[in-house]
Amino acid sequence: MARMKFVCDSERCIECNGCVTACKNENEVPWGVNRRRVVTLNDGVPGEKSISVACMHCSDAPCMAVCPVQCFYRTEEGVVLHDKDVCIGCGYCSYACPFGAPQFPSQGNFGMRGKMDKCTFCAGGPEVNGSEAEFEKYGRNRLAEGKLPACAEMCSTKALLAGDGDVVADIFRTRVVQRGKGAEVWGWGTAYGSKVAGNPPVEGVKK
Amino acid sequence: QTAPSQAAAQTSGIQGQNIFEVKPEASADPDYLKQSNGERNKVQPGNNAPMWRQVSGGITGYSSLPLTEAPEAGNLIQRFVQYPGSRYTNAGEAWRQVRNNWIIPYGAALLFVTLLALVIFYFARGPITLHSPETGRKIERFTPFERATHWSNAIAFVTLALSGLVMAFGKFFLLPVIGASLFGWLTYALKNVHNFVGPLFVVTTAFMIVTFIRSNWPSKDDLQWLMKAGGLFGGTEPPSHRFNAGEKVVFWGGLLFLGSIVIGSGLFLDKLLPGVVYVRGDMQVAHMIHAVATLLMMALIMGHIYIGTLGMKGAYKAMREGDVDETWAREHHKLWYDDIVAGKIPAQRSAVQPAARRAGAGGIST
Amino acid sequence: MLLTPRKSGPAVGGAAIAPALPFIDSLRRGLANALPTLDRRAFLRRSGIGVGVGLAAGQLTLMRKAAAAEGPVSRVGAGKVEVKRTVCSHCSVGCASDAVVENGVWVRQEPVFDSPINLGAHCAKGAALREHGHGEYRLRYPMKLVNGKYERISWDTALEEVSAKIKELRQASGPDAIYWIGSSKHNNEQAYLLRKFVSFFGSNNCDHQARICHSTTVAGVANTWGYGAMTNSYNDMRNAKVAMYIGSNAAEAHPVSMLHLLHAKERGCKVVVVDPRFTRTAAKSDEYVRIRSGSDIAFLFGILHHIFKNGWEDKKYLEARVFGMDKVRDEVMTKWTPDKVEEACGVPEATVLKVATLLNENRPGTIVWCMGQTQHTIGNAIVRASCILQLALGNIGRTGGGTNIFRGHDNVQGATDVGPNPDSLPSYYGLAEGSWRHFAAAWGVDYEWIKKQFASPAMMTKPGITLSRWIDGVLEKNELIDQDSNLRGVVYWGHSPNSQTRGLEMKRAMDKLDLLVVIDPYPSATAAMAAMPGAQGQVNPNRAVYLLPACTQFETSGSVTASNRSLQWREKVIDPLWESRSDHMIMYQFAQKFGFANELVKNYKMQKVKGMDEPVPDDILREINRSCWAAGYTGQSPERLQAHMRNMAAFDVSTLRAKGPLKDKVNGYDIEGDYFGLPWPCYGTPELKHPGSPNLYDTSKHVMDGGGNFRANFGVERDGKNLLAEDGSCSLGADITTGYPELDHVLLKKLGWWEELTEPEKKAAEGKNWKTDPSGGMIRVFMKNHGCHPFGNAKARAVVWNFPDPIPQHREPLYGNRPDLAAKYPTHNDMATFWRLPTLYKSVQDKNIADNLARKFPLVLTSGRLVEYEGGGEETRSNPWLAELQQEMFIEINPKVAAEKGILNGARAWVHTPTGAKLNVQALVTERVGPDTVFMPFHFSGHWQGVDMLPFYPNGAAPVVRGEAINTGTTYGYDSVTMMQETKTTVCNVEKA
Ligand SMILES: Nc1nc2c(c(=O)[nH]1)N[C@H]1C(S)=C(S)[C@@H](COP(=O)(O)OP(=O)(O)OC[C@H]3O[C@@H](n4cnc5c(=O)[nH]c(N)nc54)[C@H](O)[C@@H]3O)O[C@H]1N2
Ligand SMILES: Nc1nc2c(c(=O)[nH]1)N[C@H]1C(S)=C(S)[C@@H](COP(=O)(O)OP(=O)(O)OC[C@H]3O[C@@H](n4cnc5c(=O)[nH]c(N)nc54)[C@H](O)[C@@H]3O)O[C@H]1N2
Ligand code: HEM
Ligand code: HEM
Ligand code: SF4
Ligand code: SF4
Ligand code: SF4
Ligand code: SF4
Ligand code: SF4
Ligand SMILES: [Mo]
Repeated sequence: MARMKFVCDSERCIECNGCVTACKNENEVPWGVNRRRVVTLNDGVPGEKSISVACMHCSDAPCMAVCPVQCFYRTEEGVVLHDKDVCIGCGYCSYACPFGAPQFPSQGNFGMRGKMDKCTFCAGGPEVNGSEAEFEKYGRNRLAEGKLPACAEMCSTKALLAGDGDVVADIFRTRVVQRGKGAEVWGWGTAYGSKVAGNPPVEGVKK
Repeated sequence: QTAPSQAAAQTSGIQGQNIFEVKPEASADPDYLKQSNGERNKVQPGNNAPMWRQVSGGITGYSSLPLTEAPEAGNLIQRFVQYPGSRYTNAGEAWRQVRNNWIIPYGAALLFVTLLALVIFYFARGPITLHSPETGRKIERFTPFERATHWSNAIAFVTLALSGLVMAFGKFFLLPVIGASLFGWLTYALKNVHNFVGPLFVVTTAFMIVTFIRSNWPSKDDLQWLMKAGGLFGGTEPPSHRFNAGEKVVFWGGLLFLGSIVIGSGLFLDKLLPGVVYVRGDMQVAHMIHAVATLLMMALIMGHIYIGTLGMKGAYKAMREGDVDETWAREHHKLWYDDIVAGKIPAQRSAVQPAARRAGAGGIST
Repeated sequence: MLLTPRKSGPAVGGAAIAPALPFIDSLRRGLANALPTLDRRAFLRRSGIGVGVGLAAGQLTLMRKAAAAEGPVSRVGAGKVEVKRTVCSHCSVGCASDAVVENGVWVRQEPVFDSPINLGAHCAKGAALREHGHGEYRLRYPMKLVNGKYERISWDTALEEVSAKIKELRQASGPDAIYWIGSSKHNNEQAYLLRKFVSFFGSNNCDHQARICHSTTVAGVANTWGYGAMTNSYNDMRNAKVAMYIGSNAAEAHPVSMLHLLHAKERGCKVVVVDPRFTRTAAKSDEYVRIRSGSDIAFLFGILHHIFKNGWEDKKYLEARVFGMDKVRDEVMTKWTPDKVEEACGVPEATVLKVATLLNENRPGTIVWCMGQTQHTIGNAIVRASCILQLALGNIGRTGGGTNIFRGHDNVQGATDVGPNPDSLPSYYGLAEGSWRHFAAAWGVDYEWIKKQFASPAMMTKPGITLSRWIDGVLEKNELIDQDSNLRGVVYWGHSPNSQTRGLEMKRAMDKLDLLVVIDPYPSATAAMAAMPGAQGQVNPNRAVYLLPACTQFETSGSVTASNRSLQWREKVIDPLWESRSDHMIMYQFAQKFGFANELVKNYKMQKVKGMDEPVPDDILREINRSCWAAGYTGQSPERLQAHMRNMAAFDVSTLRAKGPLKDKVNGYDIEGDYFGLPWPCYGTPELKHPGSPNLYDTSKHVMDGGGNFRANFGVERDGKNLLAEDGSCSLGADITTGYPELDHVLLKKLGWWEELTEPEKKAAEGKNWKTDPSGGMIRVFMKNHGCHPFGNAKARAVVWNFPDPIPQHREPLYGNRPDLAAKYPTHNDMATFWRLPTLYKSVQDKNIADNLARKFPLVLTSGRLVEYEGGGEETRSNPWLAELQQEMFIEINPKVAAEKGILNGARAWVHTPTGAKLNVQALVTERVGPDTVFMPFHFSGHWQGVDMLPFYPNGAAPVVRGEAINTGTTYGYDSVTMMQETKTTVCNVEKA
């Protein structure tokens, strides 16, 4: 079975925020919630690299492990989703997530966060596929429509790749070979337990 | 592994610069390890090791999102840390390890063991009863104000504890029973209750401290009492003032010490402390402190509650109705009783006197 | 600030279909949620979601074909769903996008993987297009400024009052008293119609963004070799072996172009970036060179010095195809020795040599430039220096080479080609009588009638005032200007005010006007500036200000020309929102008031939009096809363009050529052999089936395959030297293998090819040249039968003798921080009348030096773009998806300077400029800029010297994010050929706020 993954190629990403707005657009994500964001390291100096980051849909997801109400689940494609009806907005997933993926609509006092929101790999949520309820709570379910995430599809430089881990790893590897450099797949070590793109990650194995 | 070479062969035209073509002495440079990513890229194109090192060091890069709205947006990945009990790993993962591998199981064990101990104790020892018959003369032990303070504090605590317990352990014992939806709604409600009752608890705790600090002031007799373990496991109950050393431990260790920690960390988790930027790393620490302190406190208070209810005849009534029998006072708080008899402490401190009690109280003082 | 997602509202939103009753709905959901979730999760275990299947992943596109055998996935609502193909309206890359429209509401945006230009990719702006379908922050109905507040009025009142006022001003002061600022946001049809409209109004006082964008490029490059446009294409950059970006920050300004560059880079292309700032583009470079702003000529000629010194120039090419390089060579070898280069631009010899070596060793190579070169008082010279360098390397007219000049707005290329320019009619026909007659014929009106509309025949052939100087047209002493009246009325028809320099003076000019009309979906920046109280006694008490809501390009259809000269057809996505109307409808309605409506739309069918008449864009394009021969806008019929849009997948990503025969299903047009979008010049009639020109001046291809050569536009001989191409240098398969002049009836007859014309063609062509022959017959014969190029075959000019500096000269900016260099490289002399206005150079520079300005304002202030916003920014800052990403106007300051001034990162700072303006902005302390330079983005407006202008905005039409506009503080300075404003080099001082 396919295992969905993201690769962001830092040799290509230009911090254009196309992915970020694509996500906002497709999923009608409100102001203040950024399912995806772009981070630039060494900003303004030689060696500058940008990376677009969202939920990586980890193999052994820390968010899932700490959720007090166990509202996370993993789809057969390895997408980590959660049920907003069950979520209590405690924020634990955001403490645990290495990538800062979980977002909250509010930053209020008294721990008022509202229901957690995060990247769904454009795979909606536990509601009926393509239903209005699903769209309102989780955004589009592109996977069910046979489409890949909006952010990666619209990425201006195809830095951001999304899809079956083997396929994206292949594409990435081809580039690495072609340019003879930049072999690190960012975030894979943490998210999938394997630093090498293309090596099948070992599902569910603790690092 | 033929794919890469195939791919390379397929690409027509010019080939990219190969890292292997880079002069071998690039890494022999004495400052090699100090190179910035830019410098490294110059001598070894595509080698971003310095940057990846920074990244796993948790360095925060640039994000166009405003700091006020998303203080951590520039952080790609949480830094590596080692929390007590975790491996040296990503902070999120480390926190998860502490919480899931230590706090949750051992916390549950602590509470369970405490409960078990109390049950065994109850069946082995039974409640502490009075040795002499009651005289029927009442002494006012807690004024209505003291009782109100205590009970509001107690209610807040129990609420917090129950809601906290559901958050921490609910998914193991409640979720399978009532299903995810119901459990979710329940926990959502309890979580919000916890978040709002927490600050209430802060207030009641402050009242508690003010109200009870004088009577809990340590004295020499406490040592005696402690050495004999309050006579709980045999022997006679050593004399004590208004509160015995055990109660003082609850006061100082539980209410004041653990309470402050719980309150401090709780307020932090609640995002109620002004002028603080709440970032994940700090939240993790606050959570771990909160969880450990609350667990210890719960264990302690479980003991307290046991003694205050099942464990000792008359205690609960004292806190509920305010007065104790003369005998109770003499047997459990000899020194206090002596002071009252000596008139150093009035037997009736509150202005409002229940008619039933007036007669008895008057009797002692004469 | 916390915005919540829109829940409902008129005609907006993804899930606009409201549930029966919110309460019932939530109750239903609540009950559903009370059930155990276990079963709902089973929904996820549907069949058919096997993702490995059909994952067709190419090198660059990654998409999963809708392999789903799942049947139609139930969607939100179940209304009528249509997919409209449109093109991003933000920059000149021209990314296509599919709009999913349900019951008239734009509900989704899908990538167009088939587009050879963007392969589905978008930057932030393009990915946020659907917000245009919300338009919440737009002007909703016409408004009028009454006692300092905008009040709603009806369209009828607005049209009546505005036209009455214009007629009154025309009566009193002549047609030249009104200034028409057109727009590069208009599609080709609207831009063209506006030029026609202004002509019928009797004026040349019209302009658009290109003036302050690439005017120097257009003039400089056209005068070098023929057309002032990008020679190759974004796609062709895939074939480059070296790409030098000098004065372009494509990663932010043309993000999707980077898709092609990075592909090239992966195949070994070397990337050089020359910029005062270490930009996002620089981050992708192999070599970054920091130069002092405004010193590009020194650097370019520094490279050329090494090239000549080492004999790296392409001698055969120069001999056959270039005029005047010897003169340039002499000058470069003596004047631009490495020490002088380093002194002027700050780049040491070793670096210059390294870049020269890279360019020499990697051919073909391309040069990319944009505003870093153009927006200077010497912009025309800088761009020519770049051309000269490419000529020396023999890179022009080659695949993978060329000067890839990235244009600005989505349709700035088209608006330049066929739109409102003050010095030309559409398609670069000058203002001479012949051109007017050509167009009078094409428009089907009497030449004499047009002439009568003008103040005088002289004014008809005199170029108008430029957009950059309209404020001087208002403020300058009447006796000093070269037209009867000062400007009294200004119509902002798709342009922002904060994009022009000298904001303080613009405010004065705005206050002095009698009439200000803003026709724009987001007129708010102009509106607020006009409503803001002016200086005591300086506000014209009779001034009238009107705001008219135009609709965006998604509410109409039409063609748009991308930077690579490809035309793309936009389908109409939705009906005009609120009360907005399309620009061409508004033009028609004004024409009705002015009494020339019938003349204006004579050749067009009309269609009903929301019950009103509007000219059909297709027909306007057909008129363009019948008249715009010179730029080759004649082959791109609506049918051909529409067929291209429907069959994008057939075009090759690297060559842009259609891969095989393919008949469009709708109109049956066969796209075989065409280049995508028929990049102009696409000569002759559509029937000739010229495929368009992917790379200009490319002699390796037959002219009917898009090949060409340099243009014969400057005579045949100069100083006794042959200006035509040398023998043997011609496009592939041409029957004339020597140089030849441009095609006219005499030449055709001389060659004995006249008889190949049909009888009607002969009749039409008699006495004409290729640009005025309405039949296109001469072109057909010349190109198709004989493989010759209608504009002749000549040499490119390294020396442009008709310019102030025939060989590009470095000159210091008027406002600089290096008086020592200004002494060595002084600016031009003042000009008494230039585009109808006195224009100062030397007197300003001298005064600044005398005033010791450099001491008071020691920092070079430059400006440019952020990826999220566009232009003046009112439109993009009204888009919450984009606005969230850039919430503060800022200034980039080097850490050293910041430390000296005690300015912390993120703190507020005051920026003082020589005009006396002070700007309150956030400090971004970064090494992106060197210690002598600061940078500010120019997309902000809505704060005025520290004061929030919110109270002056029309209610509800203020953008989400506001900030200080840099141009409030920018200074005087204009290019000596085109009147380009100097926005890239001025000075300022920064202080802690
Ligand atoms: N996101 C976004 N994209 C846009 C636009 C937009 O507003 N926003 N606008 C479009 C338009 S209208 C245009 S014209 C293009 C402009 O596109 P660009 O010209 O690429 O953009 P700019 O940021 O104006 O300027 C480019 C670079 O020139 C540098 N520069 C400044 N002075 C000099 C100099 O003297 N020499 C050299 N070599 N470089 C210098 C600046 O540091 C800057 O990095 O972008 C188009 N695309
Ligand atoms: N300091 C500084 N100043 C600069 C520059 C710089 O680099 N630095 N760059 C310069 C350059 S290159 C340029 S091109 C200009 C750009 O500056 P402008 O072109 O003034 O900027 P925009 O805000 O894009 O203006 C376009 C306007 O058209 C409106 N519009 C959009 N679609 C339509 C339509 O279909 N019809 C009508 N009627 N209106 C429409 C938009 O709402 C917007 O108000 O700025 C120039 N100014
Ligand atoms: C004194 C009694 C208290 C007890 C027994 C208690 C117990 C707990 C427990 C068990 C948890 C869950 C830990 C986990 O799931 O890992 C928790 C979380 C939390 N507690 Fe307390 N707590 C107490 C007081 C407070 C106070 C005084 C405050 C605030 C002022 C507070 C605020 C919080 C917050 C914010 C959380 C995090 C979860 C959330 O945001 O809902 N607690 N507490
Ligand atoms: C249901 C829960 C509780 C019960 C049944 C209970 C019962 C009692 C009783 C019966 C007494 C009187 C003992 C005596 O007369 O000496 C008492 C005293 C006291 N209780 Fe509680 N209690 C409860 C919860 C708490 C909590 C949550 C706290 C604080 C965190 C607390 C702190 C105290 C203190 C400070 C005293 C006064 C004695 C002293 O200072 O040690 N109690 N409680
Ligand atoms: S990235 Fe974060 S939110 Fe996503 S699966 Fe991993 S831990 Fe969970
Ligand atoms: S915020 Fe929601 S999803 Fe995250 S851990 Fe808490 S309950 Fe689970
Ligand atoms: S996969 Fe979908 S939800 Fe996730 S970041 Fe991309 S667009 Fe947003
Ligand atoms: S769209 Fe692509 S290039 Fe742009 S920021 Fe996102 S990942 Fe980077
Ligand atoms: S702004 Fe330019 S690069 Fe970005 S999507 Fe639009 S056309 Fe493409
Ligand atoms: Mo521009």
